[in-house]
Amino acid sequence: MSSDENRPDRAMATRKDLPDQAEPLLAFADALLSSGERDIGRAAGEVQQYVTFFLREDEIGIPILQCREIVRAPAITRVPEAPDHVRGVVNLRGRILPAVDTRKCLGYESAPPTARSRLLVVDVAGRSFALLVDRIARILKLAAADIAPPPVNAKVRSALGVASEGEKTIYITDAETILMPKLASEIATSRSEEA
Amino acid sequence: MEELFASLVKDFVDETVPIAQEVGGLLLKLEALVGAGGDAKPVLRTIRGGLHTIKGNSAMMGLVPIEQVAHALEDLCGHVDKGPGFARVVQVLFEGCDLLGVLIQAALAGKAESGRADAFVARARQAMDEAVVEGRSSQALVAPVDTSPRGEPPLLVQGAAAEGDDGRGVARIADRDVDELLELAGETIVGQTELGRLHGRLARGRFEASDVALMDQVLTDLGRTAREMRHKLLRVRLAPIGVLFRRFGRFLRDLARERGQAIELCIEGGDTAVDRAIISRLYEPLVHIVRNAVAHGIESVAERAAKGKPAKAQILLSARMREGRVNVCVADDGRGLDLHAIAAKAKAQGMDPSALSERDVQRLIFQSGFSTAPAVSNLAGRGVGLDVVASVVQGLGGTIDVRGASGRGTVFVLDLPVTVSLQKALIFGVDSETFAIPAGFILDTLESRERNMQAINRVLLFSWRGDFVRAVDAGRLLGCQGLAQAWARPYAIVLQAGNKRGALLVDWLSGVQEIVVKPLDESLASCRMVAGATVLAQGRVVPILDCVEVVRRANVALLPELSEAAKVEASFDVF
Repeated sequence: MSSDENRPDRAMATRKDLPDQAEPLLAFADALLSSGERDIGRAAGEVQQYVTFFLREDEIGIPILQCREIVRAPAITRVPEAPDHVRGVVNLRGRILPAVDTRKCLGYESAPPTARSRLLVVDVAGRSFALLVDRIARILKLAAADIAPPPVNAKVRSALGVASEGEKTIYITDAETILMPKLASEIATSRSEEA
Repeated sequence: MEELFASLVKDFVDETVPIAQEVGGLLLKLEALVGAGGDAKPVLRTIRGGLHTIKGNSAMMGLVPIEQVAHALEDLCGHVDKGPGFARVVQVLFEGCDLLGVLIQAALAGKAESGRADAFVARARQAMDEAVVEGRSSQALVAPVDTSPRGEPPLLVQGAAAEGDDGRGVARIADRDVDELLELAGETIVGQTELGRLHGRLARGRFEASDVALMDQVLTDLGRTAREMRHKLLRVRLAPIGVLFRRFGRFLRDLARERGQAIELCIEGGDTAVDRAIISRLYEPLVHIVRNAVAHGIESVAERAAKGKPAKAQILLSARMREGRVNVCVADDGRGLDLHAIAAKAKAQGMDPSALSERDVQRLIFQSGFSTAPAVSNLAGRGVGLDVVASVVQGLGGTIDVRGASGRGTVFVLDLPVTVSLQKALIFGVDSETFAIPAGFILDTLESRERNMQAINRVLLFSWRGDFVRAVDAGRLLGCQGLAQAWARPYAIVLQAGNKRGALLVDWLSGVQEIVVKPLDESLASCRMVAGATVLAQGRVVPILDCVEVVRRANVALLPELSEAAKVEASFDVF
């Protein structure tokens, strides 16, 4: 057993082998673990693909492996009293997914969807979310060495790293990091309600 | 390696728990049969078969304590006879069966509990020795051989799936059904390919007249396939309600013993198929009703004798299909509802029961704080219960009613849907948004000219069938963006949840229709007024309201403070 065991992505991989009762605890542990700093690439030379999207003028990438699909933003149904970061729900072939206001999650001012808006469907902690983004940019291949640690005052909240392309900066993060602060507060609320 | 073992243990538990439960149920049957002087041999044989399976499975897993207990129980079955020692032996069998349940769960947690197993084995030995000493094993019902393994699993475990239905329960599904579903899924792909081909032709402008008929055919086929698929999948969710009913056998037996009563459980329509989600959520309400029946309804043995009733009281659990819904009855042959006590209680709470019909007085027991038991016991008298039962039943899309006949008994009737995933709902709109509301909660819908709405101290209300109902503007309650005011809404929906009423003021209504209920992600758990969502035509998602919460809010909602000018205008509108 190496210290690798403690990494959240490892915890994700073994999740399905654990009894159901461990689920909330694991989600909580994951939330705690991912709130700390995490390095992105496993080895310096390893190349990963990222889906990048725009929020306002900023290009942000998340690992392609976390994205299940990209769909044109359909009508989003508002749900009364939904938390700030959830714009509502959407119908993805009969499944109802929460449409997450990615702008809100990353500290931007929220904006209604436009013709170029897309939903990025991601799986986090065994649940599916549709991240609403201003538009999809491209698929980007990056080696771990291409990604620098984020500057202390990075413009994009919860950026795990930055990649540069000439003048341009691409902020690298992942779906868990975007959603985790929200999921962790959910767990906190449901706990305080049980108590 | 450890992981593999853990998953094997889980399989073992999944497989063995239903068998142990079945054995428990059969022991009750055995006890009843012997008590009635019937032929208990076939039941005893099935019990031994079940125990034998548990023994074999646990031996294979190396779960020694379970194996030992099952073995001892199997041996003990050979000493069951009709003599006076019967009650003692059966009691030990019951205890052992309970212990098996405990040990199986302990195995899941990785504990052996061998001390308890050893103690029980010793106790079983003693019971057997006593039986032998009393020389009655000659009358044994079944010769203590017959342990040959059989080809067929001895007990029916179908439908006895995991109980807590939090969406993680396990459904058993026959391979044949999976094959059929796969075939249907294949059909839909064929249909899709065909539509794709037609689309290609249409896009190239080479669409022929005959293609319309072809497309028609494909669409009809697809529709049929989808419906069949849904129907088959729905069947997977269904289980015989008898699984639930039989749990009450043991419950009543213990309850009756404790109270020195004799109660017989009768089950009717146990093979009625109901959604497992409903079955698992029905246990608590039924426990409550059955407990109530024992505490309030069923008289002591002496009282029954004085009334000329049979000493053994009866409780009936029945299920019956009626107009596509399931009617579950809980009946007892006790003293019936005490209308005077209920009326007195109503008076004490400031109601006027003389204005109510006899049926309505009976229904008062579903209101909160309405227990008529004079003393608080562990069975009754805490004043909570039937109101909670009523709201659980409503939450399942059902209704509950009660009828009592003085001195002859009480009947509770639960009218439930077969499945929770499909519900009847009213679709309504307010401002630019659309919502669904489960039909079970709706008492009435009114047009604005049929209601005489008034605002008193910022409370909005109108009279409805001689009662005042508090109304709330749906647009404001649900946070819609429109500017319309409560007064301008053309329709009102009168709702009842538990014993509370409230009305929603809305812009338009469309008919009641069947909707598929889909759960919402946990990130929307804070939305207390929304119970789920459904998909209407064109894939539009519509939230389904949680009526209990909506009615609660309607009863605390106040009108916004009005400016002086608006006040004048509003009062002008109203009066």
